[in-house]
Amino acid sequence: MIELKGVTKKFGNLTAVDNLTLSIPQGEFFGFLGPNGAGKTTTIKMIVGLFAPTSGSIVVNDYNIQSHPIEAKQSIGYVPDIPFLYEKLTGREFLYLIGGLFNIPKMVLNKRISELIEHFEIGDWVDKRTEDYSQGMKQRITIAAALIHHPKAIIIDEPLIGLDPRSAKIVRETLHHQSKNGVSILMSTHSLAFAEELCDRIGIINNGRLVMCDTREQLQIQKARYDGKFESVFLEVTKQ
Amino acid sequence: MLIHILRYKILSYIKSTFDRRFVSIVRGTASLFVFGGFAYIAYLFALEATSFMLDHTHTGLYLLHTFISMMLFVFFIAVNLGNIIVSYSTLYRSMEVKFLLTKPIPFIHIFILKFLDNFFYSSTTLFLGAFMMLLGYGSYFGYSIYYLVGVMFFVFVPFMFLSASLAVLILMTIMKLAGRIGFRKVLAGLFAIYLLFTYIFFDLSNPTKLIENLNRFIPNMDAYIAQSIPEFLHYLPNQWVAEFLYYSARNDMANALPYVGILLTVTAIVFGVCLIVAHRFYYRSWLISLKVQPAVQGSAERKHFFDFRSRSMFSTQIEVLLKKEILIFFRETSQWLHLVIMLILTGLFSISASHINLMRVHVLDMHLITYLVLYAFGGFMVGALALRFVFPLIGLEGQAFWSLRTGPIKQSKIFMVKFIIGFLPVFIIAEYIAISSNIPFIKVTGASYLLLWFGIFSSFWISLTTVALNLGFGGYFANYFEHNPIRAASTQGATLTFLITIIYLVIILALVFMPISAYFTKAFMSRNSPIISIETAGVLFAVISCLLSAFGLIIGLRSIRRDF
Repeated sequence: MIELKGVTKKFGNLTAVDNLTLSIPQGEFFGFLGPNGAGKTTTIKMIVGLFAPTSGSIVVNDYNIQSHPIEAKQSIGYVPDIPFLYEKLTGREFLYLIGGLFNIPKMVLNKRISELIEHFEIGDWVDKRTEDYSQGMKQRITIAAALIHHPKAIIIDEPLIGLDPRSAKIVRETLHHQSKNGVSILMSTHSLAFAEELCDRIGIINNGRLVMCDTREQLQIQKARYDGKFESVFLEVTKQ
Repeated sequence: MLIHILRYKILSYIKSTFDRRFVSIVRGTASLFVFGGFAYIAYLFALEATSFMLDHTHTGLYLLHTFISMMLFVFFIAVNLGNIIVSYSTLYRSMEVKFLLTKPIPFIHIFILKFLDNFFYSSTTLFLGAFMMLLGYGSYFGYSIYYLVGVMFFVFVPFMFLSASLAVLILMTIMKLAGRIGFRKVLAGLFAIYLLFTYIFFDLSNPTKLIENLNRFIPNMDAYIAQSIPEFLHYLPNQWVAEFLYYSARNDMANALPYVGILLTVTAIVFGVCLIVAHRFYYRSWLISLKVQPAVQGSAERKHFFDFRSRSMFSTQIEVLLKKEILIFFRETSQWLHLVIMLILTGLFSISASHINLMRVHVLDMHLITYLVLYAFGGFMVGALALRFVFPLIGLEGQAFWSLRTGPIKQSKIFMVKFIIGFLPVFIIAEYIAISSNIPFIKVTGASYLLLWFGIFSSFWISLTTVALNLGFGGYFANYFEHNPIRAASTQGATLTFLITIIYLVIILALVFMPISAYFTKAFMSRNSPIISIETAGVLFAVISCLLSAFGLIIGLRSIRRDF
């Protein structure tokens, strides 16, 4: 479960996120949409502990990320918008590094890494240094690393960047499967179709404020008001 | 095209340097004070050293310039090696080059841009230091400031430019050969050549041999020294600069100016050759570098001692952090190569220091000066090591730092692992320097181990403080977009940290000066001195070091908790 209460983030005079309140219950797949610079990545970075909120509170699986960061992070799987990896490490070494940070015993970790390599079809690339990877391969390793400890909440920022259709299908199915197994997912994306297909609920953020937050059913009603396209709803609510 | 790109690069530099934000103004003002202090110390040092050599020890003018020539040789080699390592990153690994190569820009323009970028960016502090030393030296002889500015621009800058041009020529040769016989073999070969060349230079221009030879000509040593200089030294650029300075000091411009002519001509020729080679070969060598990198990696995929799959005595989190740091360090060529060079220099210094024979020296001041010089040089080496390898530790995490920052691990644990990784090697090297440079004093003080213990004690505190300061300030000034460790260690923040380290070392030196002086007085003249003891100075030393270390650690810890 992910819960944000009155979260605000300011950078000097700029308010990137303005009094955001949001609750994602266990097992819900939440799509987080918005134009560029709307505050999606800032919100995500606050949830995973990379940014400290200026005010408000963020609770992940009963732990406040500010006061109990270790416990909160223990249950989060995070995939950033750009999959930066340690270039001099191989993909396998990176997975061991992340597994080690989560204190996963080595025997369990060996098995888990083998499963993930197979699941994401990483193959022999896993033993090459990540500096030689394509964007898509880096993204696969990052997503595998996020799932290594069986997280209860997955925060994923733009999961489809750089992925070929086959990889995109694997990611889509994986996320769907995780959600069905009770994992809360907050996914930021620019792909309206992807969000519409997978998400139980969709929120749209604009200028740091949540301007729309509807379930899939409610979204159908909204779409009917326009020309039946999600794109038209999106453009309308983010007009200003 | 070249001017167009240069204009935007300069604009970008000006905008980032003259930032009007309050924090940047405070930071800039502090830098100005520290740089000013450094410049003044360099000036005073050169002035006092020249005055000491010529007036106090009555070293002749030519002998003084022979020593200057030796220092310039070391300077030339240092600039040369530094440029080879930095140029590899800027010419072959930088994202900017990749970007520019996709645009309709002639390859030679990209080469010139990156060469100038490399030369001016990494040499700013060297220019300042060189000019202030020149100012101090020139003040002794009463030269005007205009003259010294002229010497700086027409002698010292070409001298460094020559070194940098040669470095890039050597680098392109390395790339060409690496494509055929492998990167490691070429590097090993080059390394051996440098060592051999340095050995030959110092063997032929050995100051001890030189002075022993000249003793035959007492009291007119200076008049005969030119005859004792080996012929081959006259073909080296450091000798041209030294000869120019020597004849200038004698106001003999007719003999001085030809050396400037030779230097400028040779610099122009070497730079011209560099451009011709780059015109024909830079892009091809860039393509070769793409092939060379995977070849260098080959061995990394085999199972090794630091393999993440192997068991370890440490807790899981500590284990993976340690292994990550070690693997990343040794897989970055510019890191391990630079470490090997610095270890060899440290080894040479330590061996030379341990073999100093003070038994024949009966001048009390000489013992004191030798001790303080070795002590200061040891501290300087430790400071340089910490700057080069510890300062970039946090910044080099780069954008991948998200993976640690979002992990369920205390940030203080990440910081402490970095501290330990930085501290242990620096501490071991510092102890090695301290022990070897104290060996001559054990003999000369009749097997008294007090100075040795004081050296061991000092090196512990100096390593602790310099590592804490460099790690802390490295975190504070971290630029997560800079992938090049050498550039990271030569930024404004790094220079500021180094200057703070120098100020700390000067304070420590001032603190130990009196008790060490008193110790030697007591040891050789059996006279008690009413000044503070070594033990009292040691306590003060520890307190100052403790405070500074805590300051550095707090700054570093706070910096890695900032928004990322």
